[in-house]
Amino acid sequence: MSFGDLVFICIIGVTMAGALTAVLAGSIVYALMGLVVTMFGIAGLYVYLNSPFLAMMQILIYVGAVTVLIAFAVMLVGPLYKSPKEWTTLGKFGAAAGVAVVSLVMFVKFVMEIFPRGKAPAFTITTKQVGELFFRDLVLPFELISLLIVVAILGAVMLALFARGKR
Amino acid sequence: MTDFFYNHLHVYLFVALFLLVSGILGLLYRRTLIGMLVSMELIMNGAGLNLVALNRFVSPENATGMAFTLIIMGIAAAEAAIALGIIILIFRKYGHIQGGDLTEMKD
Repeated sequence: MSFGDLVFICIIGVTMAGALTAVLAGSIVYALMGLVVTMFGIAGLYVYLNSPFLAMMQILIYVGAVTVLIAFAVMLVGPLYKSPKEWTTLGKFGAAAGVAVVSLVMFVKFVMEIFPRGKAPAFTITTKQVGELFFRDLVLPFELISLLIVVAILGAVMLALFARGKR
Repeated sequence: MTDFFYNHLHVYLFVALFLLVSGILGLLYRRTLIGMLVSMELIMNGAGLNLVALNRFVSPENATGMAFTLIIMGIAAAEAAIALGIIILIFRKYGHIQGGDLTEMKD
């Protein structure tokens, strides 16, 4: 086992532990920290998939923007230590775990049967080629994403204004 | 040419599958809306990891999967902004954000 393998296994372990923390933690703040750990783990996996630009974007967008947004929402929605724990009843947890295990078994069969196994092909896509793809073939989706984000910002502002006017 | 562990497609697919399953678990049993949103982000990250891994191993001659993952990131950011706006609005109106207790539209 080489050093790269060891680091890779550590990254996978960190990702899975973060996901389990994000799902099973009793406090929403711990769940948020688990989400951050998962994002960093996925960024490491992107580095192993030869796409460092995506890893950087993952850290910038998810850790830098989405998680901070959720943290502000956690701070704004009041004293969470007064509210009950995140765990619901045992029956509901059992039902959710049942659904999760069933989908896990189904998709394991799917993954094992459909996708090819064998040698990994050489991969030489660089960041420059991703940019060329965006500005040559995917110009319309790229512009639509910016439009979507502008509309989302306007919608969030309108929601906040509407709530204040109603009070 | 040694066979590295990280040069297999199935490893990445199983990590993405784990993210999807834990996201489903959290989405079904979380009490607050913010917890559900965190689980939703886990599911979207699993989808992005799947796309990049398949782009790397199945069709390595173009970068469509990576571009698609970037678009997913933009959509997830917009979705989180709107969802959190709605959650804060719900908190102002009802005083809590527990998903099971929002039953006004039931009757």
